Amino acid sequence: MTSSSEHATSPEKNAPAASVNHVELTVNGVSYPLHLGTDRNLSSVLRGEVGLTGTKEGCDDCECGACMVLLDGQPVNSCSYLAVQAAGRAITTVEGLAGDDLHPLQRNILAAGGVQCGFCTPGMLMSAEALLERTPLPSDEEIRIGLSGNLCRCTGYARIIEAVRATSVELDGVRRSSVTE
Amino acid sequence: MTVLSSDLPPFRRADGPDKVTGSGRYTADLSVTGMAYAKLCFAKVAHGRIRRLDVTAARELAGVFAVITADDVPDLLYSPVIPDRRLFARDVVRFEGEVLAAVAAVDAETAERAVSLIDVEIEPLPVVNDLEAALKEDSPLVHEDWESYEATGDTPRDRNVATFSSITKGDAASAMDTADVVVSSRYVADGSHAVPIEPRSVLAQWEGDAVTIWTSSQVPFEARAGVCETLQLPTNRVRVIVPHLGGGFGGKCGFHFEAHVAALAKAAKRPAKLVFSREEEFLAPDRRRESMIVELTTGVTNDGEIVARQGRVLIDNGAYVADAAFFPQLAAMHVGGPYRIPAIELEASLVYTNHQPSGSVRAPTAPQACWAVESHTDELADAVGLDPVEFRRRNIVHTGDEGFAGQVYGEIGLDECLERAAASLAASVAEVPLGSHEATGVAVSWWPSFGVPAGANVKMQEDGSVQIITGAQECGTGAVMTLADIAADELGVEPSDIRIVYQDTAVAPTGPGATGSQTLLNHGRAVEAASRQIADQLRELAAAELEAAAGDIVLADGQAGVAGSPGASLAIADLAASAAQADLLLGSASAPVPEYPTVSAVCVGDQGMAAWLAPQFSCHAVRVAVDPDTGVSRVLEVHAAHDSGTILNPIGAHGQVEGGIVMGIGQALTEGTQLGEGLQRNAGLLEYKLQTIADVPTISTQFVEIDTPNAGPRGSKGLAEAPNVATAAAIANAIRGVIGSSVRTLPMTAERVWSTIEEARV
Ligand code: FES
Ligand code: FES
Repeated sequence: MTSSSEHATSPEKNAPAASVNHVELTVNGVSYPLHLGTDRNLSSVLRGEVGLTGTKEGCDDCECGACMVLLDGQPVNSCSYLAVQAAGRAITTVEGLAGDDLHPLQRNILAAGGVQCGFCTPGMLMSAEALLERTPLPSDEEIRIGLSGNLCRCTGYARIIEAVRATSVELDGVRRSSVTE
Repeated sequence: MTVLSSDLPPFRRADGPDKVTGSGRYTADLSVTGMAYAKLCFAKVAHGRIRRLDVTAARELAGVFAVITADDVPDLLYSPVIPDRRLFARDVVRFEGEVLAAVAAVDAETAERAVSLIDVEIEPLPVVNDLEAALKEDSPLVHEDWESYEATGDTPRDRNVATFSSITKGDAASAMDTADVVVSSRYVADGSHAVPIEPRSVLAQWEGDAVTIWTSSQVPFEARAGVCETLQLPTNRVRVIVPHLGGGFGGKCGFHFEAHVAALAKAAKRPAKLVFSREEEFLAPDRRRESMIVELTTGVTNDGEIVARQGRVLIDNGAYVADAAFFPQLAAMHVGGPYRIPAIELEASLVYTNHQPSGSVRAPTAPQACWAVESHTDELADAVGLDPVEFRRRNIVHTGDEGFAGQVYGEIGLDECLERAAASLAASVAEVPLGSHEATGVAVSWWPSFGVPAGANVKMQEDGSVQIITGAQECGTGAVMTLADIAADELGVEPSDIRIVYQDTAVAPTGPGATGSQTLLNHGRAVEAASRQIADQLRELAAAELEAAAGDIVLADGQAGVAGSPGASLAIADLAASAAQADLLLGSASAPVPEYPTVSAVCVGDQGMAAWLAPQFSCHAVRVAVDPDTGVSRVLEVHAAHDSGTILNPIGAHGQVEGGIVMGIGQALTEGTQLGEGLQRNAGLLEYKLQTIADVPTISTQFVEIDTPNAGPRGSKGLAEAPNVATAAAIANAIRGVIGSSVRTLPMTAERVWSTIEEARV
């Protein structure tokens, strides 16, 4: 008896290619005019056409958070988001976090020892940034919930929590002193 | 959460800014001009005979540059110890991730479409998927012609038994008769995975007759050797470069797909890049954590002294041996454990099956074996009515003791690890008493250090800055960064004056890379020795200028001074500037391999795993809650104490322990490969569940620092693997404490815990 393993052409392989659209994506304040297939996911366009490879792909399936970016400040798994839907919205990637100096989250995650291989780090930072925007002084529980979509295999997470906590306190201090002034 | 102690020095990660800004490049981030996209065609059946493999339609598809199969590469068997596999399957496929063909195309979609056009017909063969059935005389063979393989070394082999080892000391059967109590237990651990968050990627580019390969490998020199062996190329024509590496945990050790992509790029006449999907990362590499059956019988006296142990271990090798030949002896060492056992008889077999090949995932064999033996140890303690900590106290190895294999240990800190971890947990329980469905559990473990050859080049440049050129590989642990601290200390300069050139086989001396917790131990000794050569040169130069004896020159804070003469000193940068005009400041060293200890036990199938150089010890003590209605376990606290010798980078060391523990919790509770007819059923992150930030407990870590001779630089030992060993075992003992009986399968999922509760009720 013989049986064929599953290598036959599946029907969707014969489906017509997705149509190509002209879209303009705004990434970290810079606009990119692009011709994109409507089926392209945002992470592949950021990493490909836009040329910003800080956004990582760990699963392509909404499971690991390595591809997290901000869309108008909201955290989104860019692997599972269509690029054309991001047109007209402000896309922020990890490359957009630092100004002349490192963002406090970047500085603190290094100081706390929350970076090992660094592959989860960009996504982790974007989730943390979104969390601190929504909840400037999160409890440990809120930090855990806010970052629970981001897998890290290296650190055991403790130092990442430490870094987010330190940043929230630091930024709160800055806010307070600017109010006092 | 972990309290970061305030006296830790600031962590220096030279690669830190790259990693937090997104500017650091990992292999999948690289593109080169004209690059083709590679895709592999996998067998997708566990065992079968290839009846048809026709790539014509794939080759004819527009946009396809090349399709290669076994016919397009040298026809040879490779693998360390037992060469039993080919790059591409020929005739028979033995696991679902076996590679049939590779495609290079203009884009990823075309490559995928070409793979779908490959016409494959595979006649199913009986699947070998049960370790015990595989040992029977009438079992189908995974390798019909196993006898013809040219195995090296002392490896008893027989049919589906790939390798076998035994460790025997004294007469265990007679000693067992003298015991007051004899306990027998059986434990079964499922296989699991390394799961680095970066799926692997390989990019190969030929220039003339030489190939450069960028790859997400933990072991660039081993990857190079694999390419040279399988494609029959001289070492000089293969350069392996590892960009930033997104974790490995052993999963990226060994030699994987570098040769497939190099051969493909050659055929396509253009560079080719392969990027694995998460599913491929689960299915194809020959590095997953082996499933295991452990049977133990131990005799103890009424006052809790172990007098004899007999044990048998079966290890799932999967379809090809990869680096697993030494697993039986290593697993035997772990089911013996860090105990004084006067008479022992252990047997372990590595068994071929039609599963994905096993290989060195973080502390191979140890977490499962430790889980089994430490669960068994709690059963022994129970049987003689002793507290688990007290039972261990009476039986573990202390400084100067002889271990069960007959190695006599120098100064070791296992007893202190036990006391400190247990005391830390006890203090917490005194403060917050155990809840109604909570219990504590404790486990001890050990792990060897591996001494192998490694070299380093160090140069001091004209401005006094220093470059280290090392074969070390940074997989995230930060150990490579610690090399700068060692050189800075030797040379009297700041770590920030030092740059490390690494992860490139064309420039660095050979070394093991990020495997076996060896970065500091081996590459560190080489950097230390090479830096010392330059330090000696600096002392000679300074001695001549300052009219002092070279032996009195002290290098510190950027100055060469004279001991006892505070006024006399020269800037090291000035000495470097004058040396640049005369004798250059260059150091180059190959660190001698430390001398290994000896053992007195009889070791059949000796793979060098019974005599342990600079053994590392640890104890994990945990508080766990179990919901009796659902079987869901939650780890609330882990108190760890580790003897890994001197700790050179405290934040890095804490990070290793915390990461190892969280991986251990995953192995304990959720991480296990589910198989059906040899095929993985949960090859995705939703189905194979890692611990998230929401799951992790409070972790407190202590280091029992012992300046260990005949070990790594400054009395250090390895540390990356040890933290992953004892956690699952300690959790098992805590779960047993809550529910009253042992869960005998790993991972101890909610369903299995619940079933154990139900069985106990009947
Ligand atoms: S790559 Fe998007 S969630 Fe994993
Ligand atoms: S640092 Fe490696 S995955 Fe988080």
